[in-house]
Amino acid sequence: MTVADVYLQQIINGLSLGAMYALLALGFTLVYGILELINFAHFNVFMVGSFVGLGVLRLLGVMPGAPALAGVALVAVLLGTLIVTMLAAGLLGVAIERLALRPLRNLRGPAAMITTIGISYILLNVVLLSLGADSKNFPNPLPSWTMPVGGAVLRLREVLIWLVSLALMAILTWFVQFTRLGKAMRATAQDAEAARMMGIEVDRIIIAAFFLGSALAGAGGLMFGLYYNFTSYIIGFTAGLRAFTAAVLGGIGNVPGAMLGGLIIGLIEALGGQLVSASWADVIIFSILVLVLVFRPAGLLGRVAPNKS
Amino acid sequence: MPPDSGLLLEFRGVNTHYGDLHVLKDVSYAIGRGEIVALLGGNACGKSTTMKTIMGVVRPTSGTVRFEGAPIERLRTAERVRRGIAPVLEARRLFPRMTVLENLELGAYTRPRGPEYMEDLERVFALFPRVKERRSQIAGTLSGGEQQMVAIGRALMARPRLICMDEPSMGLSPLLVEQVFDIIQQINAQGTTIFMVEQNAAMALAIAHRGYVLQTGQVVLSGEATSLRENPAIREAYLGELQVTPAAG
Amino acid sequence: MSATIPAPVGRLRAVWDRPAVRHGLLALLTAAVLLFPFVEGDDADIDSLANAAAYVALALGLNIVVGFAGLLDLGYAAFFAIGAYVYGVLSSFQVLPAWSPFWQPFAALHLVEKINQGGGDLVHFTLSFWLALPLAAVVTAGCGVLFGAPTLRLRGDYLAIVTLGFGEIVPIVARNTPYLTNGAAGLNGVQAPHLFGYNFTVQATPYYYVGMALVALLIFTSIRLRDSRIGRAWMAVREDETAASAMGIDRTRAKLLAFAIGAAFAGAVGVFYVAKLQTATPDMFGFPVSVMILVMVVLGGMGSVWGVVLGAALLSLLQSWFLPDLSEWLHTLGAAIGNDWLQQIDLARSIELIFGILLVLMMLFRREGLIPAARHAPSLDFAAQHVQGVQRGGFDGELAATALALPEPGRGNLLEVRGITVRFGGLTALNGVDLVVPAGGVVAVIGPNGSGKSTLFNVITGLVPADSGSIRFAGAEILGLPPHRILAKGLARTFQNIRLFANLTVLDNVLIGQHARLSTGAFGAVLRPPRTRAEEARALARARSIIALFGNRLAPRAAQAVSYLSYANRRRVEIARALASQPKLLLLDEPTAGMNPAETLELAEQIRSLHALGLTILLIEHKLDVVTQLADTVIVLDHGEKLAEGRPDQVRRNEEVLRAYLGRAAREALDAA
Repeated sequence: MTVADVYLQQIINGLSLGAMYALLALGFTLVYGILELINFAHFNVFMVGSFVGLGVLRLLGVMPGAPALAGVALVAVLLGTLIVTMLAAGLLGVAIERLALRPLRNLRGPAAMITTIGISYILLNVVLLSLGADSKNFPNPLPSWTMPVGGAVLRLREVLIWLVSLALMAILTWFVQFTRLGKAMRATAQDAEAARMMGIEVDRIIIAAFFLGSALAGAGGLMFGLYYNFTSYIIGFTAGLRAFTAAVLGGIGNVPGAMLGGLIIGLIEALGGQLVSASWADVIIFSILVLVLVFRPAGLLGRVAPNKS
Repeated sequence: MPPDSGLLLEFRGVNTHYGDLHVLKDVSYAIGRGEIVALLGGNACGKSTTMKTIMGVVRPTSGTVRFEGAPIERLRTAERVRRGIAPVLEARRLFPRMTVLENLELGAYTRPRGPEYMEDLERVFALFPRVKERRSQIAGTLSGGEQQMVAIGRALMARPRLICMDEPSMGLSPLLVEQVFDIIQQINAQGTTIFMVEQNAAMALAIAHRGYVLQTGQVVLSGEATSLRENPAIREAYLGELQVTPAAG
Repeated sequence: MSATIPAPVGRLRAVWDRPAVRHGLLALLTAAVLLFPFVEGDDADIDSLANAAAYVALALGLNIVVGFAGLLDLGYAAFFAIGAYVYGVLSSFQVLPAWSPFWQPFAALHLVEKINQGGGDLVHFTLSFWLALPLAAVVTAGCGVLFGAPTLRLRGDYLAIVTLGFGEIVPIVARNTPYLTNGAAGLNGVQAPHLFGYNFTVQATPYYYVGMALVALLIFTSIRLRDSRIGRAWMAVREDETAASAMGIDRTRAKLLAFAIGAAFAGAVGVFYVAKLQTATPDMFGFPVSVMILVMVVLGGMGSVWGVVLGAALLSLLQSWFLPDLSEWLHTLGAAIGNDWLQQIDLARSIELIFGILLVLMMLFRREGLIPAARHAPSLDFAAQHVQGVQRGGFDGELAATALALPEPGRGNLLEVRGITVRFGGLTALNGVDLVVPAGGVVAVIGPNGSGKSTLFNVITGLVPADSGSIRFAGAEILGLPPHRILAKGLARTFQNIRLFANLTVLDNVLIGQHARLSTGAFGAVLRPPRTRAEEARALARARSIIALFGNRLAPRAAQAVSYLSYANRRRVEIARALASQPKLLLLDEPTAGMNPAETLELAEQIRSLHALGLTILLIEHKLDVVTQLADTVIVLDHGEKLAEGRPDQVRRNEEVLRAYLGRAAREALDAA
C-alpha cells in the first residue's frame, strides 16, 4: 500500500465510523432539541442495542464462525435483526423516559442529567454483571466480498453500514420534515408551550423522540457489532462521547448537523489516528469538543447558542 | 351541542397557585356565546394565568372551569383544543423556524386533513391576503404585524368556538393595532367568541361587549364595556391616567 | 426544597440549632475519630477508614464546585490525578535527569538527592509529602482555572460535558507519557511520608490520622467559605447568574474561584492517596471515579457540608466494609442451604450498579440529599403572617439615612443615554434613544408592553449590548462594561419579572446586594481575621436595618427563603437588595406590578422618601398615577423610539402619546372635548 492508499483506506474506515456516530448523534440531538437534556443513558442504549443484535442473530441461528449467508436469506436475517434491535432499543429509551425522566421534566437544574448518568450506570452494570466483562464475538453473516478501490479495500460491511445509515437518515429526515408527527416534533422543539397550546400532546412527542433516538442508537449498536465483529459492555462510553461531540460539532438539536458532525468525527478519528497516533485520538476529539463549545457553541449548522442565562 | 344557559366559558371560584404563590384568588368569569370579553389589568395581576388556566397549562387548585356547560378543569390541553378553544399567545409565539403554512397546519393539529381543512385555510387566506402571499416564508422572518396575523390565522385553523387572545396589541404600531382589532371584530361577527387579555384598556373596551378588571389576582370590577369606560374607578386605574380631563392632578 | 417540613425533622433541627448540642456532638465525633485506632486493632478496618477519609475529602472539594457554585463537574477526578502525579513523579524513581551542579541547591533543601545507578550520577526527586500537599493544591488550583476558563460562558449541561472531556483527557495523557508517568503500568516506588524521622511505610494508622486531619481541615474551610461573602456569591451565581452579576458579583471570578478551590482540595487528596498506595496508575482517575464522587455529593446533599461528609463516608464504607461482609454472610448462607449462586455472589462488584440506582432514586425521591443544605425557616404560621398593618408615610427618614448611607447626589446629569440602538436579529428593540437623568431627579419611562422599556434598562445595566450609542454615568462611559462593574459604580436595579435568589433567605439576598461594597476574599473568609469579622458584622447589621425599613412586611421574614414570600414582598426584597449596594441611581422596573392599590400607595411613598434622602431614581411604571405622583420627567417609548418627553402633565396631553398608548377610544374622547 502506498501512503495515498493508506489514507484512502482510512477515509473508508472513517466514513464507516462516521456513519455509526451519526446514527448515535441523532439520538442526542432529537432529545436535546426538545428537552434540552444531555442524555447520558443514550451511551449505553447503544451498547445494549449491540447486545440485542447479538442475541437476535444467535436466535436466528447465526453463530460466530458460521458460514456466510447470501441472497434472500442474508437480507432477511439482516433486516429482521435490524428491526428487532431498533424496536428493542427504542422501547428501552421509552421506558427510561417514562420511568425516570418524566417525573423530573419541569425541574430546573441538573437533576434530569444526573438521572441519565445513573441510568447509564445501571444499564452498563446490569450487562456487565449478567453477561460478564469479556468481549463477545459478534456473529457475522456477511459474505467476505471485497472490492479494491485504488490500493485500498472496500468491504461489504462498510457498504452495508453506509447503506443502512443513509437509509435510516433519509427516513428520519422525511419523517421530521413532512409527517404530521414530525412537524409536531419540530414545533415542540421550537416552542414547547405554544406547541402544547396547539393541541399537540407534548408527552407523546417526547416519547417519540426517545423512541426514534434510541432505535437509531440500537441500529448503531448492531452496526458496531457487524463492523468490529465483537461487542462488550464497555463500548458505550467512548462511542457515546464521540457521537455527542459529533452532535455538538454539527449543532446540537439540528438533524443534518448531527449527520455532518458524525462524519467529521469519524474521519478525524481514522485520519487522526493515522497522522498522530491512535492513542491520542480521544484527546483530539475532546479538544475539538471543547474548542467548538467555546468558540462556536451553536456548532457548524446550528442556530441557537447554547448559553442561555 | 348540549343545551345550556348560553354561557360558553365559565370560571367559578377559581384559585391557582404557583408553589406558595397564590395567583388567582376566587375568580369567576362568565363569557356568553358570541361575545367579545376583555380582561384588563396591569402586569402581574393574573391575566396570563387566566389564559393558561383556560388552556389547561395551569391547573386550578380549587373551583370549576366549564366550557359549553361541561367541566374542563381536568382535561388536557389537547382535549380543550379539540373541544373548540384556541389561543393567540402573548408575543405571538409562532414556530419561528417553520414556514407560515406549517404554522397554520399546526393550528389545525387536532383536526383531520380533509375538505374542511382546505376550507379553513381558504378562510384564513381570505381574511389575511398578506398571509397567503407569505405562506412559504419562514415565520421568524416576518414582521410583527404579519406574525400577529399568522398567529390569529393559526388559531382560526382549529375552527374554535372560543379564541383566547393574550395581548394582541403588544408590540404593534397603532395602525396595526387598529387593523388587528378590526379583524377581531370581523372574526367575532362570523360567530367566534373572543376572550381577550389586554393592557391597552381603552382600545380593548372600544370593541369589547363586556369587561373584567383583574387586580392582584382578584376581579375587582366587571360589567358592560360602555359602563366600564365611564366608570370613574377604571378611568383612574387604567384609562384615567392619560384621560383627557380638564385640570387633572 | 419541599415547602412543608415534617414535625420530627423540624424538632430535630431545633435541637441541632442549639450551639451546645452542636459543639457537644462535634466533640464526641472528634473523640471517636481520635480513639478509633486504639479501640479497633484491625489494620484493614483502619485502612478502610483512611480510604474513606480520602473520598470524604474529595467529595468536600466537589461540593464546593457542584454544591456551592452549581457548576456540574463530571471530570473532577482529573484534579485528583494531577495532584497524585505531582507527588508521585516528584518522589519516585520515575524521572531521573542527569546530575548537574544546577541541582545542588535543591539537594541542600532535601528536594532531590544524587544517586548513582551504575552509569553517571542521576537526580532523584525526593519532595517531602508535607511540602507536596500545598504544592499540589496550588498546581491543581491553577489547572482548575485553566480547565474552568473555557467553560465559563457555557450553560450548565455543556459545562458538564466539557469537564467530562477534560476528565478523560488527563488519564489519557498520563497513559501516553510513559517517561513521566510510566504509562498504564503506573508509577511505582512512591516514597511514604516521614514525620520527624518516623516513616509511615505501609501501616494504616498514620495515614488514618493524616486523612482525618485533612478532612477536618477541609470541613473547616468549606464551612468558613460557605458562611462568607465568597460563599454567598457562589450561591447567588448558582441561583441566578444574571441577577448575580447585576448585583455586583463578577461571575467569572466567582466560578473560577470555585473551580480553583475545588481543584486544590482534590490535588491535596491526590497527594495523600498516592502516598498511601505508593503507586499511581491512570485507571485510578477515570470517569467512574468522578461519578463516584458525584454520587457521594448527591447522596449527602449538594451544598451541604455535613451531608456530603456523611454521604461519602457511607458509600465508601459500603464498598469496603458492608458489601464484602454481606457477601461473606451470603456465602455462608449459601453453603448452609447448598445454593451455588449464593456462594459465588460478590456484592462489591455491584457497587457501580448501586451507584447508578442511588443516583436515580435520589433524583426522583430526595433531590436535597440525606442532610439538605437549605436551612431557612419554614413558612410563618397564620398569626405571624397577619401581624402586619399597612405602613404609610414612607420610610422612617432617620432610620433610612443610617441604614442606606447613600452617597451625595452630586450635580448635573447623573445618567446620560445618547442614541442607543439595540437590534435582536431583524428586530430593532431600541432605535436611537436619548435619555437624561439629572442627579437627584426621578425619571419615569412609560410605554406599551413590548415598546423597549426593559431592554433600555438591560442596556444601561450592561446585560444587553448596544449596537450603537453611548451611556455616561457620572460623566464616565459605562457602555460595554460588565454588569458587576456598572453596579459597583452605583447603578442598582430591580427586574420586571423579579429575579431574586429564590432558595436563599431574605437576609442572604440583601447581604448579596452588598457584595460590591465588601472586600473579603477567599483567604479572609477562611482565616477570618478581625477585619473580616468586623466587615461581616457591619454587613449583617446593615442588611437587618435595610430589611427593617420595610417594617412588618419583611422583618419577621428575614430568615425565610424568598420563594415563600408573596409577590408584593418579593418586590420589596428586590428593592432592599438593590438598596444594599448603596446605589447613586436606582432603576426600578415596574416596582408596583402585582400590588394592590394600598400596597402601591405604600411603595410609592417609600420611593418618594428614598428620593427625599437623595437617591436618584429611574423607573418603568404602568400605573400612571404612580408616575404622576413621583416623576419630574416622563419619557414615552413606543416601538423602541422615544415618542415624547416632558413633565407628567405635558406628556398626558401629547397627542402622539395618546395615539400610541390609548388608541381610538381616547382619541375619540379627545376629539369630542
